Amino acid sequence: MIRRWFTVPLSCAVVLTASGARAGEYQAPELLKTTEVKRPAGGGEAAQDHVLVEFTVTASGQVQDVAVLESAGEAWDHAVRESMASWQFKPARHEGVPAPARMRLSLKLLSAQSDGGAHDEPSDAGVATQPEPPPSAVVHPPDHAHDRPHVVTATLDAGAALVEVVDAGHPGHELTTTVSARSVPKSRGASDVTIDVGQLKAVPRTTGGDFLKLAPGVLLTNEGGEGHPERIFLRGFDAREGQDLELSVDGVPVNDSGNLHGNGYADLNFIIPELVESLRVIEGPFDPRQGNYAVAGSAEYQLGLTQRGLTMKGAFGSFNTGRLTLLWGPESTSARTFGGVQLSRSDGFGQNRAAQSARAAAQYEGRLSDSLSFRVQSVGYASAFRSAGVVREDDFQAGRLGFFDTYDVRQGGEAARFSFSGELHYHQGGFTAHQELAVLARSSRIRENFTGFLTDVQLPRQQPHPQRGDLLDRDTTSWTFVGRGYGKLRGRVFGRSQELELGYFARYDTTVGQQQRLLAGADTFVPYAKDLDLEAKLTDVGLYADANLNLTDWLTLRGGVRADVLTYVVQNNCAVTDVRRPNNANPPGDSSCLSQRDFGLPREPTERASAFGAAVMPRGTLLVGPFQGLTFTASLGDGVRSMDPQFVNQGRETPFASIRAWEAGAMWGGKLADEKLDLSTRAVVFGTRVDKDLIFSEQEGRNTLGGATNRLGGLAQARLKGPAFDVSAHGTYVQSRFEDTGLLVPYVPDLVLRFDGALFGDLPWRPLGSPLKATGGLGITYVGKRALPFGQRSDVIFVMDASAEVSWRWASVGVTAQNLLNTQYRLSEFNFASDFRSTPPFPTLVPVRHFTAGAPLTVLATASVTLGGGK
Amino acid sequence: MSRAVFTSVLALLGASCLDSTGNRLVGFKAQASGDPALGLVAGQPYTFTSGRGYEVTLTTARLFVGAVYLSTLEPMTASGSVEAPCVTPGLITGEVRGGLLVDVLDPTPQVFPAPGVGSDVPTRSAQLWLTSGDVSAADDSQVILHVEGTAARGGTSWPFVGKLTLGKNRALPPRSAALPSANPICEQRIVTPIPFAAALDGRAVWLKVDPRAYFASVNFGTLLQVSSTPPSYAFRDDAATADQADNALFNGLRAASGPYRLELVP
Repeated sequence: MIRRWFTVPLSCAVVLTASGARAGEYQAPELLKTTEVKRPAGGGEAAQDHVLVEFTVTASGQVQDVAVLESAGEAWDHAVRESMASWQFKPARHEGVPAPARMRLSLKLLSAQSDGGAHDEPSDAGVATQPEPPPSAVVHPPDHAHDRPHVVTATLDAGAALVEVVDAGHPGHELTTTVSARSVPKSRGASDVTIDVGQLKAVPRTTGGDFLKLAPGVLLTNEGGEGHPERIFLRGFDAREGQDLELSVDGVPVNDSGNLHGNGYADLNFIIPELVESLRVIEGPFDPRQGNYAVAGSAEYQLGLTQRGLTMKGAFGSFNTGRLTLLWGPESTSARTFGGVQLSRSDGFGQNRAAQSARAAAQYEGRLSDSLSFRVQSVGYASAFRSAGVVREDDFQAGRLGFFDTYDVRQGGEAARFSFSGELHYHQGGFTAHQELAVLARSSRIRENFTGFLTDVQLPRQQPHPQRGDLLDRDTTSWTFVGRGYGKLRGRVFGRSQELELGYFARYDTTVGQQQRLLAGADTFVPYAKDLDLEAKLTDVGLYADANLNLTDWLTLRGGVRADVLTYVVQNNCAVTDVRRPNNANPPGDSSCLSQRDFGLPREPTERASAFGAAVMPRGTLLVGPFQGLTFTASLGDGVRSMDPQFVNQGRETPFASIRAWEAGAMWGGKLADEKLDLSTRAVVFGTRVDKDLIFSEQEGRNTLGGATNRLGGLAQARLKGPAFDVSAHGTYVQSRFEDTGLLVPYVPDLVLRFDGALFGDLPWRPLGSPLKATGGLGITYVGKRALPFGQRSDVIFVMDASAEVSWRWASVGVTAQNLLNTQYRLSEFNFASDFRSTPPFPTLVPVRHFTAGAPLTVLATASVTLGGGK
Repeated sequence: MSRAVFTSVLALLGASCLDSTGNRLVGFKAQASGDPALGLVAGQPYTFTSGRGYEVTLTTARLFVGAVYLSTLEPMTASGSVEAPCVTPGLITGEVRGGLLVDVLDPTPQVFPAPGVGSDVPTRSAQLWLTSGDVSAADDSQVILHVEGTAARGGTSWPFVGKLTLGKNRALPPRSAALPSANPICEQRIVTPIPFAAALDGRAVWLKVDPRAYFASVNFGTLLQVSSTPPSYAFRDDAATADQADNALFNGLRAASGPYRLELVP
């Protein structure tokens, strides 16, 4: 006799039948495949005939985070977990999009005899080994499962769906399925990319910004070092540190309005990479929800932690780089409830690249009633870093400076960010309301020297001086208050589901910023001049209306209009920096901020300016399809970038730069190979026009106002997911030109190719009965020769990153390698004039090539331990 | 939408013609000499009649040029503002760094030790940096101009020697106490704007020096007599004690129009 033990889930196919459930909005997971539970070695008899478990069905249908609520004994619990790890579900869906669900099921432990009469007793090792039972024996639902639907009630809202599954052995409140899904944003065309990071987390990434590489056309460079924000290039735009890209994390803005380094400066380093769950990138201003800075587009991060339990992760390797991460996902909560802390430090490669940082994030998602859910989030971040800055190519070629060396060891910076946000989400029937409030405190200080000893102008009123050095020390501190919300009505009009959403965005920033010039010297941080001293109070209030009109089965029109009102009140505490004819009796000397004007007449050194402006931005997308998964889209929209407070003059109208973008594309998504493969592809052609673009100025170390530009390009992207792999590839080609001359816009890449891939699966070894799991990740970036000023072209960038990890039960070890081929490459290249006094005595005043070095091979060994969480 | 599409299509069409950000960086050879048009013969004295009617025979004429910078500033603009900074990096189209002692009596091109670098952005004027080091340094002992010869007029001759430096001896007092740097020493050392309309294209830049212009306004009768037997005269190298001849030679040295001419040559 063979004793077989297997489980029978009580709901093999959960069906929403209850009144109130909106068909098509929520679908609970459907069980596709189970495996039997093998009798545990030496496990003895089960303590009871069932195990009550709670687990997560991921958006890809896998089972994770199994927690045993009612135990049949430790060994049996473990056997159940082992079995469930290979179950396969058709994932829950919310508004047609796969969504993770937290399920609670009672698994009855049955014993059965085989028909064949062969005996397969447990082996000496205590593990039952028997031939594969016939399929009919694996799933053996009890009679009552056939008698009635498992679902007797359902209460739904846009934040979650609570589906009660009733079993004879358990009351309804114990058997639940909670679909943790947010109202899914409606696609704005083929350039609206929602990236579920998923298994691609295996690809090495050190910062939150690195995830942007998963979006087509994105190139990240960094001339400032590890703690410095990434410089973002997107579809022909040089968005600098986010100035042309609206960035947010769970609705909380990242762009700093009024930052002296650039209006819209965005530092994504506060994000703990392990907490990035998904990312939505809209490449263009096509959604009425997009606001200020959405010139090249927008990117919104969603944080989450799939792994439940307490995970401690450490990494150590090249250049004394160390990283310690602590993550906590309380059991029986959704992936949107988590806590995380990360500490990191590194000596950095080459000279002057040491960095250290601390990040913390916590979030709780809960519900106040069946129709009202809430989420609160707090984030803290602090970092200090040194920066190598640029190297002149002629100095490197002549051996005067090494590839990874620096001219000025005082370059670097510090940053801090603290935020608290909360949101309420209400859903009842066809009405949804959402409200989010956030408060942020930020500070950033960046010291950069692009030009050496070149821009310290000798003013007649100053004492005679030589060039004292061009190390710019910028510091900005700001407080930001944000409110945003919307109300959405759904209803059936003309026999079809239609939606109308009205929303608002309100933001108030108060910032204080200074820019000083520091006296040259190895350890000197003495300012000799003040360039800027601004206090700004900035307001942005936007209203939008967005409609989702299903005109026919195959024709959908989405879009609306957004209007933003921006106000600026700027106090310049250093309004007068020079005077042509100073007062002889009261000479200003070397002071930076003067109290006199021409002919020495007295005045206050401060000056206020206020400005007001409004913009109306229509945006729309037409979707035709799907036809067997194929959808054609066309989008058109306007966007704005507000004025930099430095340039505010009394009464000058804001916003001062506008963009018009269009695109046409096609998307296809579907299952292949008996639904084992999930393929999504898209192809887009796009164009944009910016009336006043920002072009990088090396002497300023920031973007400065340029002329009108046009962009025209195309992209293609594909992502293929399978049972053991997940690969994504995209390529973008774009030409960015000045409208008046037709010349190329410098620095932006025209060709960007990116590949991300992950392989994962069980290894053939099962120490102590548990499988060894292996995961490998590979990321490849190729960037074509970028146009540089004076008709130059940069080098090609080709970088490969890889990782490998082996995990067993609660532990894993691995290794990551960035720049696997140890390519010596120039991450950023510039052509401009500088004088670092490499070949004295005469200054170098003509443009020459400069570069910032890309990181060499960096290898980190990683190890992690997870306690609890059912893994 | 139509405008965006239209301009984008124009951009695409333009892409086939223009695949550049505009302009380009170029390297070039730089050389200097006495102006060949004067009939100079290397190693031979050069005789000419000055603007004041002196017959001047030069046996030595050497000019030290620290650096040459080319600029986009029009000559009129470049001289228009007394408060313009000496160093204007955003306007420089070419540079030749590294000192060259030019034998002004030799018409043969003498090549600067370091090659020139620049761009093909149109050049409108040039600067000669007459210094051996930091252009703003308080002092510089380098002899910038060394001339020897004899001047004669009306039966009188003045054997002379001139060795001009641009150091503390040339510092000018500030215009007012409130503007202590209104007359920086760098302004004395930089000869600008020398007209030079060109676009660098890889050809050599040739600085041609006409020594006659140095002496155009010199009244040799005001020279300092340093010896009577045999008679010998010298140009004073100090602005504080300078007489007409001394100032005239110094002004001739610093004249942007007259002594200096630049050309592009194969």
